[in-house]
Amino acid sequence: MKFLNNMTLGQYVPVESPVHHLDPRCKIVAVLFCLVGIFMVRGPLGFVMWGLFFLALVGASRIPARLVLSTVKPVWILVAFTAAIHLFFTGGEPVFSWGILEVTREGVVMAARMGLRLMLLIMFAGLLTLTTSPTELADGLESLFSPLRRFGFPAHELAMMMTIALRFIPTLLNETERIMKAQIARGAELERGGPLKRLRAFIPVLVPLFVIVFQRADDLATAMEARNYTGGEGRTRMNPLEWTAGDSAAFVFSLLFSFLAVFLDGRVTLP
Amino acid sequence: MSIAVRDLVHIYHPGSPLQTKALDGVTFEAERGSWVAVVGHTGSGKSTLAQHLNGLLLPTEGSVSVDDIQVRHGEESLRKVRQKVGLVFQYPEQQLFEETVFKEVSFGPRNWGFQAGRLEKSVEEALELVGIGEDLYEANPFRLSGGQKRRVAIASTLSSDPDYLVMDEPTAGLDSPGRRQLLGLLSDLKKLGKGIIHITHDMELALGLADSILVLDEGKSTLWGPPGVILGELLERDIRGLVIPDLVRFAGRLRDLGFEVPLTWEPKILAEAIGRSHGR
Repeated sequence: MKFLNNMTLGQYVPVESPVHHLDPRCKIVAVLFCLVGIFMVRGPLGFVMWGLFFLALVGASRIPARLVLSTVKPVWILVAFTAAIHLFFTGGEPVFSWGILEVTREGVVMAARMGLRLMLLIMFAGLLTLTTSPTELADGLESLFSPLRRFGFPAHELAMMMTIALRFIPTLLNETERIMKAQIARGAELERGGPLKRLRAFIPVLVPLFVIVFQRADDLATAMEARNYTGGEGRTRMNPLEWTAGDSAAFVFSLLFSFLAVFLDGRVTLP
Repeated sequence: MSIAVRDLVHIYHPGSPLQTKALDGVTFEAERGSWVAVVGHTGSGKSTLAQHLNGLLLPTEGSVSVDDIQVRHGEESLRKVRQKVGLVFQYPEQQLFEETVFKEVSFGPRNWGFQAGRLEKSVEEALELVGIGEDLYEANPFRLSGGQKRRVAIASTLSSDPDYLVMDEPTAGLDSPGRRQLLGLLSDLKKLGKGIIHITHDMELALGLADSILVLDEGKSTLWGPPGVILGELLERDIRGLVIPDLVRFAGRLRDLGFEVPLTWEPKILAEAIGRSHGR
């Protein structure tokens, strides 16, 4: 029986690597540049460049390639669906037809382009969360958004909410698994029948899960208040973020690489 | 008729960085009508073992069989095993979801396909066993007290009429009357011929109640036998995280001082022995 132990999206893998040591702000902004860069390349050269860059990053991060690949698993249907839509519904010179379905040369190119693009996007974002702990991520975002505080933007509160939400994902997965097992032990059949039947079968899991979630939220709020949490004003940090020369180098490099990939890609036209 | 576990090995997340060996060659047997206590420190593999006994986890190596049915992949055999072996998780009250106590307790039997008549009968019997009266049948389970919730949850496993009952720390979080009541219930169930597998970290409880004790340490079955034998072994060697009951330690100390008293965990027996040595 497969339970929920094959989720990696948003799961931090704590190993020692140069990528792990980068400042979260550097990583967040660099990934944003990369995402924009990936969206802007169209041809094979661009994708090859991004692919190689990604492989180099994975190597440097010392995270097993299998784990990185599995970040795509939860959304592979989306990737496959997008590719299929482009494959069958792009007009142009037909190469193959089957009933009303027609595959065109342009369709194949578009499908490959969109599929690769989505996969790269997901894996880059995945690598960020694999190498950055949720707390670091939230601290980074808080720091990046803090200039907006002047306009009443609740940077600290949002970051705190995000940290808590992320912190509870593994806990809730564990709880879900525990409740699923308890109901299966009582004879519940969670994996049989059509979608509607399956949905109904999940009520015995969802109700207890909601009860636990609210209880946990309540307990946490009490615990935070008991320790005098009153919001962002005047709070200090355990580990203040430190921007080093390495961060600057990594930042400039990814910025330049993004420009270079887009620029070179524009020079090499599609066959 | 028994649950037989042979050389059971369980590895979580094999082949991944999270790979851990939770069970490492566990062997024991639990017969119907007997009480087996599984004792070990936190992380010794107790809960993993519990989940093997009704097929929620399957062996990486070794075997588990329930009344000669092998626990392995296959819808039919797993369902048979799960109905035979009732598993009550830690804090079972967290699995409650129905609107009324009666519906909650009938969840299991309905899943196993009990027909009308037998269904009501088994639900009523289970609720009677745990001491929940008819006046609470239509009550909302979420509105009950902690102890009542626990009993309803246990009834919801008993109502499927299992031959074996695996209880993972059933007394955790109960007050002492609640504890006593629950342990009394388990004794009654044993007398009804059910096999009780009681998972606990409390050696004193195990010594006092079980017919056989399995001691787990780091996933290995380090000791297996009746309480008397286990007790002798415990005094000989130190097993991590296991607390020797105060009274046993006291009896041991008395023996060191030359008193002729038995090694026991029961106050009455020790008191009588001391009395005798003083001519009373």
